[in-house]
Amino acid sequence: MIRFLLSRLLTLLVTTFALTFIVFFLTNLEPSLEKIAKSEIGTRVSDAEVESWLDRNGYGEPMLVRYGEWLGVVPGWTHTVDGEVVAGRCEAPAGAVEAGAFCGIMQGDWGWSTVFRRDVAEIIGRSLALTGKLMFWVMMVMVPGALILGVLAGMREGSKLDRSLSTVSILTTATPEYVSGVVFIAVFASTAVGLRWFNGSATSAMEDATFENFTLPVLTIALYGMGYIARMTRASMTEVMTAQYIRTARLKGVSFPMIVLRHALRNALIAPFTVIMLQFPWLLNGVVIVETLFNYKGFGWTLVQAAGNNDIELLLGVSVVSVVVVLLTQLISDIGYVYLNPRIRVS
Amino acid sequence: MTIHDPRRAGLHPAAEMYAAEHRAGRLSRREFLTRATALGVGSSAAFGLIGLPAPARAENHMPMGGTLRMEMETKALKDPRLADWSQISNFYRGWLDYLVQYEADGSITPMLLESWDANEDATQFTLKVRQGVTWNNGDPFTAADVVRNITRWCDGTVEGNSMAGRMSQLVDAETNMAREGAIEEVDEMTVRLNLAAPDITVIVSMADYPAAIVHSSYESGDPSENPIGTGPYLPEVNEVGVRQVLVRNPDHQWWGTEVFGGPYLDRIEYIDYGTDPAAKLAAAESGEIDITYQTTGDFIDIFDAIGWQKSEVVTAATLAVRFNQDSPPYDNKDVRNALQMAVDNAIVLELGYNGRGTVAENHHVCPIHPEYAQIDPPVHDPAAAKALLDEAGFGNETFELISIDDAWQAASCDAVAAQLRDAGIQVERQVLPGSTFWNDWLEYPFSATEWNMRPLGVQILGLAYRSGVPWNETAYSSEEFDTLLAEAMSLADVEARREVMAKMEKLLQDDGVLIQPYWRSLYRHYTDKVQGAEMHPTFEHHHYKWAIAS
Repeated sequence: MIRFLLSRLLTLLVTTFALTFIVFFLTNLEPSLEKIAKSEIGTRVSDAEVESWLDRNGYGEPMLVRYGEWLGVVPGWTHTVDGEVVAGRCEAPAGAVEAGAFCGIMQGDWGWSTVFRRDVAEIIGRSLALTGKLMFWVMMVMVPGALILGVLAGMREGSKLDRSLSTVSILTTATPEYVSGVVFIAVFASTAVGLRWFNGSATSAMEDATFENFTLPVLTIALYGMGYIARMTRASMTEVMTAQYIRTARLKGVSFPMIVLRHALRNALIAPFTVIMLQFPWLLNGVVIVETLFNYKGFGWTLVQAAGNNDIELLLGVSVVSVVVVLLTQLISDIGYVYLNPRIRVS
Repeated sequence: MTIHDPRRAGLHPAAEMYAAEHRAGRLSRREFLTRATALGVGSSAAFGLIGLPAPARAENHMPMGGTLRMEMETKALKDPRLADWSQISNFYRGWLDYLVQYEADGSITPMLLESWDANEDATQFTLKVRQGVTWNNGDPFTAADVVRNITRWCDGTVEGNSMAGRMSQLVDAETNMAREGAIEEVDEMTVRLNLAAPDITVIVSMADYPAAIVHSSYESGDPSENPIGTGPYLPEVNEVGVRQVLVRNPDHQWWGTEVFGGPYLDRIEYIDYGTDPAAKLAAAESGEIDITYQTTGDFIDIFDAIGWQKSEVVTAATLAVRFNQDSPPYDNKDVRNALQMAVDNAIVLELGYNGRGTVAENHHVCPIHPEYAQIDPPVHDPAAAKALLDEAGFGNETFELISIDDAWQAASCDAVAAQLRDAGIQVERQVLPGSTFWNDWLEYPFSATEWNMRPLGVQILGLAYRSGVPWNETAYSSEEFDTLLAEAMSLADVEARREVMAKMEKLLQDDGVLIQPYWRSLYRHYTDKVQGAEMHPTFEHHHYKWAIAS
C-alpha cells in the first residue's frame, strides 16, 4: 500500500513538472512576453523599450533559469541600479527585496498575477472556493440523481421504464454544456420565453447563492455528467440482476424491492463509484464553459482570463492545481475500489 | 440652486462674439456653451448671454442613501495620467476630483477651480483655485497642488502619459518636461499658465479623464492603495475583472455638497460582466444590476422591451476603421483611397449600428464640433475603387480587417468587409477577444478602433493624427497637417478656425487616413428607481449626481 501511494505521488510530481514546463515554455515565447510588456507599460512603445522593461522585470534571463526560479531551485532575479537592488522577485516582509533568496513554488510562493494584480495563491484560493461551492451542489444533484436513474433503469432491463430513462440519460450526455446552458438561459431566464423562473447570471451567487441564481449553472453541469453515470450504473445493475445469487434470492421468495436494495445495490455501485471519481476531471472542463457563460468567477473563469492575458504565473498555478485534482481523484478512486471490492488488491 | 460661481463683471470678449454667432444661427447651443465656458464664462452666465435661463437642478427631490449597482468592466488602476480607459477613471473619480468638468450639455463646470480667465489671444490663462477645499486627510487644497498636478501632466518622459500631448503648449520640446515659467503660482489661490502659442483647448483638456487631481504624497501606481483625494467616496473593494466598490467617506466633508448638493448614494458597486452584452442582459433580468454602463446595438431595443428607462446622448464618438501607414500595403496612398472609395458609410451605419447615429465623412470631425466645416462627402464608387487598386498593383492582394469581438464593432467591420468584397476586393476578417485586441491596437495594419468623443474637433485631431503622438494609430505623419493644426489651435475665432479646419478635413480625406463610417449616439438603460445617472457623451460618471429610490 505504501509503495503504491509513493509511486502515485511520484507520478503526480513528474506530471506536474512536465505540464508546468510545457505551460511555462508556451507562455514565455517571445511574442507572449512582448504582450505582457505592452499591457504593463502601454501599447505604443518601441521594441527597445519592451526589451528594457523585460530586462528590468526579470524576463530577460534564459528560460530554464526562470523556470528554476519559479520552481524555487534558483535564487530569484534582482534588478540593480548603481549597485542598489531596486526590484526583484523575492520580497521580504518589510517590502524590501532580498537578493539571493529563493522564492518559488517549493518555498510556497506561487508568484504574482499580472492580470488581477494580486498574489496567485490568493486568486487561486478565491476561485477554488467559488468553484468548490459550485461543485458541491453539482455533486449533490448529480450523484443521487444519476444513481436513482441508473438503478431504476437497470433493475428491469428492456422494460418501458428502462427505455425511457435510458433515452433521457443519453440525451443529457449528448448535449454539451455550451448548448444546454444557452438553451436553459433562453427558456428559463429570459423574457423571450417569459418563464423567468431562474437567473441567467450567477454573479450574485458568488456572495449569496440562492435557488434562483444557482440552479441553472448547477443543472447545466450536473445534467451532462448525470447521463453518463446513469448509463454506467444501469449497465452495472443489469449485470448484477442476472447473477446467480439474485436468482437464488428470488427463488427464496424475497420481495423485489428487497432484492434491489439489499442484494443488488451494493454490488452494482462499485463501477459507478469509479466513474463518479473520474468525473471530477471532466467537471473541470465543464466549469470553464459554465462559469464563463454564467459569469461566475471561479476556477474555470480564472483559467480563461489567465490564458487570454498570458498571465504566466497564474496559468502555472492553475496547471498545478488541475494536475493535483485529476491525479488525486484517480488515486481516491483506485483506493476506494479496493475497499468496495475485496477481490482486488493494490500493487 | 445654481452653480456657486462669484463671476467678475468682465466677460471674455470672445464670449460675446460667440453669443452673436449663436443668435445668427451659426453656432448651436451646445457649441456655444462649450466655447464660452472654456473661456471662463460660468455656465449660468453663458446661458444668460444667449437669453436662456440656466437649467435648474432637482436635487431637493433626490432620495438619500442606497446602493447603485452598475455593470462595468473593472480594469486594473493606473497612474491617472496614464489611464487609457474611461472605466479606469470612473472608479478613481470616487475619491479624485478634476479641475473642471465636461457636462452632457456641452458646457464646462468649474470644480476644483472656482473660475478662470483667458487673455485676448488665448496665450495666458489665469486659474482661480476654489476656496475651502480640503483633501480627505485634512490638508488644504491650494494653488501648489494645481501647479504640481499640471507639472506632472507635462512630463512627457513618462511612457504613455497622454496628458503631455494635451498640454503641449506648456511642455518644453527639448527636455520633454514642463517649460520653465510656463506654470506660475501667483499666490496661494491663483495659478497662471503661460502658453508657448495660443491654445484654446487647454481648459477643456483638464476635463479629460486622465486629468484627475492627485495628492502630493502620490507618486505612481495604483491610486486606490492610498486613496487620498478631495472626492466624497473611498474605494472599498478593488478586484480587477470582478468588482470595484465605492463607499461614501463618512469622515470627509466634501466641498461639492454646498456647491452642487449630493452625493446621495452611500455605495456604488461596479460589477464586471465582460464584453458580452447578452451577459449584461442576463444580469439585468436577474436583478443583479440597476444600470448599464452602455447599451449597444440590438440590445438597445431589448432593454427597452424589458421595461428599462433609456437615456440617449448624441456624441462625436465613432469607430475608426483605419490603416496603419507603416505597414505595407497601406503605405500606398492609392490602396487606402481605393478601400475608402469601395465603402458606402451609410450602409455601414445601417448594418453595423442599426442606423443609430449620423453618417461621417472619413475625416474625424463631427458636425457637433464647434469648428466643423462642411466639405464634399467622400465619393463612393466601387468600380473606380477596384480599378484604382488594380492600377496600383494590389488587385489580387488579400486584405485582413481586424476587429474586437464586441457586437457592434464586429458587425460594422463585417459591413465594411462585405462592401469591399462586393467591389471585387479580397478581404479576410479577424475577430479578436477584448483581452488580446488592445495589446496591439496601435500596430494592426488594418483594424477598427473605438474612439470616444472630445469636446473640440482640434482636440481629437491633435490626439490621434498629429505626427508621432502616442495614440497616432494610423502612423499618419504630414507636415502640412501638423502646421494647419497648430494654426487652428491658436484661433479663438470659430469662423477663422473653420476655414483651417476645412483644409485639414480635406487633407485627411485625400490622404486616405481612415474609413470613418458614422458618429454614434450613445445609450444607457436603468431601472425606474435610478435618478440623475443619464448617459454622458464621454462616459464620465459624476457620482455626486446619482441617486436611487428605495
